[in-house]
Amino acid sequence: MRKSFTAVLGYFAGGLTLLVAILVPFVLMGFFSNAVARAGLHVDEGYSGGVAARTIARDGYRIVVNQPVKPHLLQRMEPFVQVAWEPASALPAQISEDVDLDGDGRPDVHLTFAVPADAKEPLQVNVASLNDNYQSFAGVENESYSRLVMRTDRGIMVRVPLSRKFSTR
Amino acid sequence: MNLPSISASVWEALALGLATGPICLASCGPVVVPWMLILPNGWRVRSHQLTVFLAARLMGYLLFACVAWWAGSAIPHAWSGRAWAFGCVQLLLAIALLTYAIGWPKTRSCAAESGRRLVQIGVAPQPGRTGAATLGFLTGINLCPPFLVAGVRASQLGSLPAALVFFVLFFAGTAVWFAPFLALGFVQRNPAIATVARIAAALLACYYGFLGASTLIARIIYV
Amino acid sequence: MSSHPSTLERPPAFRRIGKSILLTLPILLWSLLMFSRAFFQPRLDLRLASVVVMLFMTALFFLMMRTGTTYRWRRYFFVALGLLFPVGFIADLIAVRGTMSIPIERMVSGDTPFCYMVIPMLVIPAALTRSIIFPGSILPTASNPHSIAIMIGLWLALTLVLGKAWCSYACFFGGIEEGFAAVAKKPKIRRIDPRFRLVPWAILLAIVLLSAALFEPVYCMWLCPFKAVTEYPAVRSVQTAIQMVIFVVLFIGLVIVLPLLTKKRTQCAFFCPFGAFQSLFNKINIFEIRIDREKCIDCAACRNACPTMAISKESVQAGNTLLGCMKCGACVDVCKNHAAVWHVKGTAVGPSSERSRLLFLYGAWAMATMFGGSVLANSVSHLLHFAM
Repeated sequence: MRKSFTAVLGYFAGGLTLLVAILVPFVLMGFFSNAVARAGLHVDEGYSGGVAARTIARDGYRIVVNQPVKPHLLQRMEPFVQVAWEPASALPAQISEDVDLDGDGRPDVHLTFAVPADAKEPLQVNVASLNDNYQSFAGVENESYSRLVMRTDRGIMVRVPLSRKFSTR
Repeated sequence: MNLPSISASVWEALALGLATGPICLASCGPVVVPWMLILPNGWRVRSHQLTVFLAARLMGYLLFACVAWWAGSAIPHAWSGRAWAFGCVQLLLAIALLTYAIGWPKTRSCAAESGRRLVQIGVAPQPGRTGAATLGFLTGINLCPPFLVAGVRASQLGSLPAALVFFVLFFAGTAVWFAPFLALGFVQRNPAIATVARIAAALLACYYGFLGASTLIARIIYV
Repeated sequence: MSSHPSTLERPPAFRRIGKSILLTLPILLWSLLMFSRAFFQPRLDLRLASVVVMLFMTALFFLMMRTGTTYRWRRYFFVALGLLFPVGFIADLIAVRGTMSIPIERMVSGDTPFCYMVIPMLVIPAALTRSIIFPGSILPTASNPHSIAIMIGLWLALTLVLGKAWCSYACFFGGIEEGFAAVAKKPKIRRIDPRFRLVPWAILLAIVLLSAALFEPVYCMWLCPFKAVTEYPAVRSVQTAIQMVIFVVLFIGLVIVLPLLTKKRTQCAFFCPFGAFQSLFNKINIFEIRIDREKCIDCAACRNACPTMAISKESVQAGNTLLGCMKCGACVDVCKNHAAVWHVKGTAVGPSSERSRLLFLYGAWAMATMFGGSVLANSVSHLLHFAM
């Protein structure tokens, strides 16, 4: 009696698995994907660069300054601020300007770079810190997640590392 | 130091330990988890070994507190010293883990009897107080980030005893987070789990060895 | 003694043609449904590829029904998937990015396609900080359709149906080594220490702990052999050069050389941490392979045939396979006494083996057609595109 009951349960579960298989492409995949998307997860800010804090309007283009990214205690990367010049099509051939990174109304870094017409040409960015909160650098030899100069689909992005006093390591 | 400031420091140290405990857990996990799984089964053995581990870790903390005090606040930010210390501690940790992972092959071990096999894993030494103390001490002086945060704060205190007390309380705060490791006792100990833990310990030893060696090599080449 | 079922052990006509066609009909309809969208694509190569793959998958299922064997026909699909997946993947990468390597710029732009291998490493960091330690994007984008949510959703859904059978019917890497394992007639290395079976669990433990400690997907950065045939970090430093060497050495050793020498899926059996992780789902999956003790004569044919050494002497005596069984069917097909049988948990072992097999195969082949079939169609369309 017990054996036939477990057998019925077993076949019922087997049939259910088959039903689940049929539902996978139509319902379940989307259901699980939506659940993951709504779970409040985010890609680690060391990769994504954090969320935009302010947009500074310039003549024909804009500068998007993100909130500073302060890695977890265990992460080896330095804290940094991501700044992006957008859109790529509206950028002048040469950019040399002071940027207020922390939103206190005073400039924090002076950035200089040429915007090559050829998208494959390497970028040469010079970052000069105007106070001791940020690190200066010219070009990037050993690129890392916190010290990066790159071209994106939208424009040019620079990650400026915060000075070591903000770092736990 | 007056009474209110001592009280504030006490709470600060405890709070700091509690707040950074999960980071300590993640940081020490690669050492503690395989080691706890290698241990013989039973709550008593595991809790005893964990106590020895934590006590040795505290010793490591206090030693570091003394050094931090002696060197002022220089050590946490003086990269040259940190790199050497970091590299050496990682290498020592790798050796300790490897010792418990590989053990010493016995002439009549099962693996030896199996003839032409691709690998032989010897009999691991029975984990005792020395092992717990070694790993605890090494993770104690391993310059993990929460530890450095506490080091910076302790070095700002007025006296060496105050710095030591700060570290003890910080340690107490972090130690609470280690209690879940006792739950590994629930994992039924069988030869397979112990072997898995030993292989994992060997792999982790490789990682720490690589980290230590590359840190020291980079230090030698670039400075 | 051959270590794999190289010939059909059962009579070639296990079922009549008419009944076999009837049993294949649901899979034919399912394939039509799955590929129907591709039939209306403007690209001829995609339409052709879809038809070819649809016929391929249906024909293989028909042969499973007709012959009563599973392993050999599944292997044709699986090896094709393993060998063709890199073709389509690399072609897509080169079309979008111009190279197989992924530079840091693309990583921070969230353009890294998500791979299910990362999943075990994500759990602890996500639980602690809600962060995903992978340089992809949560939602699909134009430059990265293989987003984290989509791929985890797909994996969860497939795992509900397949459990550990993922490694035989869905994984797009395992087929490469299964192909190499099938090349030699006899294994050069026969005796393998069974403790090697525990290595994937150890790697899983180590990478989960290290990923939590470092907040980095350690396996992807240092150990994944399949980086050698998919995408790899652009070699711009000593570290990335070392990583690349490790990827290539592991790929050549575990995916090519050792399968050739042992006729086993050595990467899957002795290395892959995701396989170990996936084994846990065997506990909740209703389908399994059992050994009928009344029929078993302890000939060890099943143990020798198992491509991942998921059957031990002890497990045979207990009438079970090990947790790592991926339900490929090799042991069932090779067993002359029909002692190794497909089984639905809770039912009697033996008498309803074929019913259990059918129940399992419909679900598994439906998933293989949906997921692996679409991967195959993409790769075949690229090949046709080049040819035309």
